[in-house]
Amino acid sequence: MPKHVVRLLILLGAGLAVGLIAKWLFTAESFYEFGHYRADSVAEIAAQEPVFQTSAYCQSCHVERHVQWSANNHKTVTCETCHGAAEGHPQKGKLPIPADTRKLCSLCHERMAERPRTQPQIDLAQHGAGQQCATCHNPHAPKLAGVVAKVSGDAAAGRKKHAESCASCHGTNGISPNDTWPNLAGQNAAYLVRILAAYKSGAQTDVMMSPMAQTLGDGDIQNLAAYYAGLSCKAPVSEKAAGDAAAGKALAQNCAACHGETGVATNPAWPQLAGQKAVYLANTLKAFRAGLRKDPMMAGVVRGLSDADIANLAAYYAAQSCEPRPKVRKTS
Amino acid sequence: MKKREAIGALRARRLFLRRIGGAAAVASAAAAAGTAGLVGKAAAKSGAAAAEKSFPTPDYDWTKRQWAFGVDATKCIGCLRCVEACKVENEVPLTAHHFRTWVERYVYLEGENRPRVDSHADPVNIAASGSEREYRFANRYQDAKVEKAFFVPKLCNQCEHPPCVQVCPVGATYKAKDGVVLIDHEYCIGCRYCVQACPYGARFFNEEKGVTEKCTWCYHRITKGLQPACVEACPVGARVFGDRNDKQSPISLFIRNNRVQALKPETGNEPNVYYIGIDKAVS
Repeated sequence: MPKHVVRLLILLGAGLAVGLIAKWLFTAESFYEFGHYRADSVAEIAAQEPVFQTSAYCQSCHVERHVQWSANNHKTVTCETCHGAAEGHPQKGKLPIPADTRKLCSLCHERMAERPRTQPQIDLAQHGAGQQCATCHNPHAPKLAGVVAKVSGDAAAGRKKHAESCASCHGTNGISPNDTWPNLAGQNAAYLVRILAAYKSGAQTDVMMSPMAQTLGDGDIQNLAAYYAGLSCKAPVSEKAAGDAAAGKALAQNCAACHGETGVATNPAWPQLAGQKAVYLANTLKAFRAGLRKDPMMAGVVRGLSDADIANLAAYYAAQSCEPRPKVRKTS
Repeated sequence: MKKREAIGALRARRLFLRRIGGAAAVASAAAAAGTAGLVGKAAAKSGAAAAEKSFPTPDYDWTKRQWAFGVDATKCIGCLRCVEACKVENEVPLTAHHFRTWVERYVYLEGENRPRVDSHADPVNIAASGSEREYRFANRYQDAKVEKAFFVPKLCNQCEHPPCVQVCPVGATYKAKDGVVLIDHEYCIGCRYCVQACPYGARFFNEEKGVTEKCTWCYHRITKGLQPACVEACPVGARVFGDRNDKQSPISLFIRNNRVQALKPETGNEPNVYYIGIDKAVS
């Protein structure tokens, strides 16, 4: 073989050897184990720690919240969808409670033609008068209409019970003679059932009402509610209220979603405010503000109200006509 | 049908060439005495791994699963919780233009034949969210006459025949045995061929890390028995995930009970994301 060809072959062989040794040196251990890639990288990727922990993780501590949430409409929205990923919680600190719920909730509930029709949607401009959603809606149990109490009372029996027990304070026709006690005539029956039951159970307390309600049977409560709901709410206009009704009207925009524009409630679960006694209304609002009366929705609404605001609101609602009676949904 | 046959023929030819190439490599390696260690090493290791334990983790055997993903566009409300969840879970840069999953909006206005398409990365939608770190669809069609409109969530299709894997020059991306296409960030050289190769735009380049990224169906979650973060975060069940080997898994039921379709079937990639409720403008 000619010398130059031998040299060339030696050179080529050396080159091949260097190449193969280099490849052997620089190729990771696990390369080619399953194919043309590094098998260790699969294990590395699989070993990364999850950031989202799932609602089951939250359940281990927040048991009551979990029960409430999983029984209501938002059960398909996991804890971490609103509160953020739970990695490092609770060791590293609390998870945020979203402050701007109007922004957060509208991500899913702002009305858009693109969304499926089955999705509950609102017109942001017309709903809730710019208030935060969480003021009225509990994010863990968002539906409001579910609390309508059943009413199946006998008005005649209620009339008898009324004459025996209630008439001395609340008036013969359910129109109270005193400004501090509420008119009951024309009040929503479902609301009356709920509130009387609360006095009876002790969920709500009042020096006068608690002992009265404790003597009532469930049937009495039903009968009374049916009786009062059927009475005419027309009442003589009481003496001039302390507040400014015009200023109250502006504030009442925030209450309209539940209590109606003039205090004629749209849902039987909520009380009529139109034509109610001003002093009673003011006292009740103050009781909510002080936490003496407990209601998650009202607590949020009254938090920012001053004494003057309360007086104005009371004056506004007291001056409204309770007629026409609202079209209250039938409860069977 | 012709196209399918052509693709099949191409694939057969590719396989043949690969085998020829493999045989030649083995022959030359054997010929070069002393350099056969490479083949021997790999062969010994794979044999040991298969016999002993499950791979890639002790609790998870990738040969037992065949993952697939379903998207029900009739349920999607465009809230973009999936996009935010994905970013948090996978440390995706918090800008509007880096994302592993995204949602598109298709709106047909009255008198128009083609849909108007936008995603969370559209300037109007960035303005509506107020920040590139938060995502929301602007209510930009509220005063328009909308004839038909819907949202379509998108993500990596984890194709049966992934073109991105085919073009990678360094073996940094590959198809795992359970069906997921993964990226080895140690080996990725950031050449971005794969970004170009993907017909779905599912890959992006992470400038901070100098590597390509894409959806892995949250491989670190699914190998631990969890759902991908986007599926976890979806409030309406528009995203479905599961194992096709399990005939009662959500995805098996989803595929069996619906007339599903895949995106760009004509490419022959055979995507593993199944859609319902989209129309022909979606690709």
